[in-house]
Amino acid sequence: MSRTLAVARMQLINKWTYIGWPLTILAASFLMSLAIFALIPVTEGKNGGGSQAPLWYFLVLGIQSMTLVFPFSQGLSISRRAFYLGTLGLFSLIALGMTVLYMLGGVLERATNGWGVYGYFFNIPWVTDGPWYSTAAFFFVLMMFMFIIGFWFATIFKRWGTTGTLVSTLGTAIALIGIAALTTVFDGWGHFGNWMAQQTPLSISGWAALLCVILAAGSYTTLRRATP
Amino acid sequence: MNETIVEARNLIKHYKDLNALDQVNLSLSANRICGLLGRNGAGKTTLMSILTAQAFATSGEALVFGANAYENEAVLSRICFIRESQKYPDDFQPQHAFRSAALFYKNWDQEFADRLAEDFQLPVKRRIKKLSRGQLSAVGVIIGLASRAELTFFDEPYLGLDAVARQLFYDRLVEDYAEHPRTIILSSHLIDEVANLLEHVVVIDRGRIIMDADAEEIRGSAVTVSGSAEKVDAFLAGRRILHRETLGSLASVTVDEALSSRERTEAQELGLELSPVSLQQLVVRKTMAGAGATGAGSGEFADDTMEARR
Repeated sequence: MSRTLAVARMQLINKWTYIGWPLTILAASFLMSLAIFALIPVTEGKNGGGSQAPLWYFLVLGIQSMTLVFPFSQGLSISRRAFYLGTLGLFSLIALGMTVLYMLGGVLERATNGWGVYGYFFNIPWVTDGPWYSTAAFFFVLMMFMFIIGFWFATIFKRWGTTGTLVSTLGTAIALIGIAALTTVFDGWGHFGNWMAQQTPLSISGWAALLCVILAAGSYTTLRRATP
Repeated sequence: MNETIVEARNLIKHYKDLNALDQVNLSLSANRICGLLGRNGAGKTTLMSILTAQAFATSGEALVFGANAYENEAVLSRICFIRESQKYPDDFQPQHAFRSAALFYKNWDQEFADRLAEDFQLPVKRRIKKLSRGQLSAVGVIIGLASRAELTFFDEPYLGLDAVARQLFYDRLVEDYAEHPRTIILSSHLIDEVANLLEHVVVIDRGRIIMDADAEEIRGSAVTVSGSAEKVDAFLAGRRILHRETLGSLASVTVDEALSSRERTEAQELGLELSPVSLQQLVVRKTMAGAGATGAGSGEFADDTMEARR
């Protein structure tokens, strides 16, 4: 347990990686969005997509924790289990912190009528329309999803190299096309459309969380046999 | 005899088209400096990776502190193995790597690490990505030394280090080892440089262990006899010859045997000259003899063995 905790602490030794950069990216994106909102002379609500910026950095972090931090952890003779749990624990902690930040930003944004310029950065149509816990769940799961998908692909890459990554990416694409084709053949798009229309941010979070769990479990079984 | 700390039983590591390890059996006892010598690609790193559970054997058993190290915290917490091509987190500086090591090694000595960093003139606040090859090696050397792990592996730790830095490493290693006895496994192909540090020598070639003996035993286990070819050959008839070279009517022959004092006197009376064989020469000769008459072993062993061969 203490070594698992140490894995998380180790990755916080350089505060920039997990705290400084995400906040810097968020702040930069926020200020830029604000400047653009202010330039648009419309007094109706304006929405921007800038709040997704840190998510792409999380994808990179997910990849790097597998390609660089894992080999380093092996050098310090850290078990794969401790590395996995410590890193995933750290992911959740950061995702949680960012979620809280997004929620607070959202509250401030509504209270100030979009920062006085009718610009909405943290409030996103549909996503943040529901109750607060639905919004929080959506942000949290989405951030975890970005980390884990990066981690997952990097695990595949570490274990099976370029070929494995290509096969699994192409395989996923072919499977999706196959499903789409079957849907067309069986005239299922209507049902699919209905199903989509019924989804709420909370149920989408649920599905994404399920996918996260599957990918995380898959990463672990792969990591168990990965070499630095 | 000391307790056994590392044991390999019939280790085989098979890659697509080569046997990286071929039936390796090995047993190393605690609290010694052991050299793991061999050519590039002989299987040194593979062996160390499998022992530390960083890689997996195709078959066979690798035991460290009497158990398999794989996912075994009790064993892993006593091992340090920084590889020659060690990777570090992207944003890390040497100081971050040292603080990381401090989290995992209970005997970590930060003061020692600081002193070493100064010795090696390592910029501890520069991103590791930006370091030169030598400075990168220094980071690994410092982690290996300051962690004071009961079982420490050094994987060709001198790459890119200049002669002064290499000497510093050898000196610090011996000093610290004297104060804090532990088991050191040092992989190297610069044999002459490390020969004096080693208490035990393991030589691996093409996945096979071809020598496994105490350094003391090895010293004087072989001898080179030179003089007129006729006399030399007559004197050495029936012995295990490792290497023979001639220059005109003169011959210089290395035998894989020690000579008794009576034989030494006899050699002197015949006007033959006896000279000791350095560890490096012995390893080169044995490796090349093992490669057979095909001359497959004539590739470079290390730059300076070319000189040793003349």
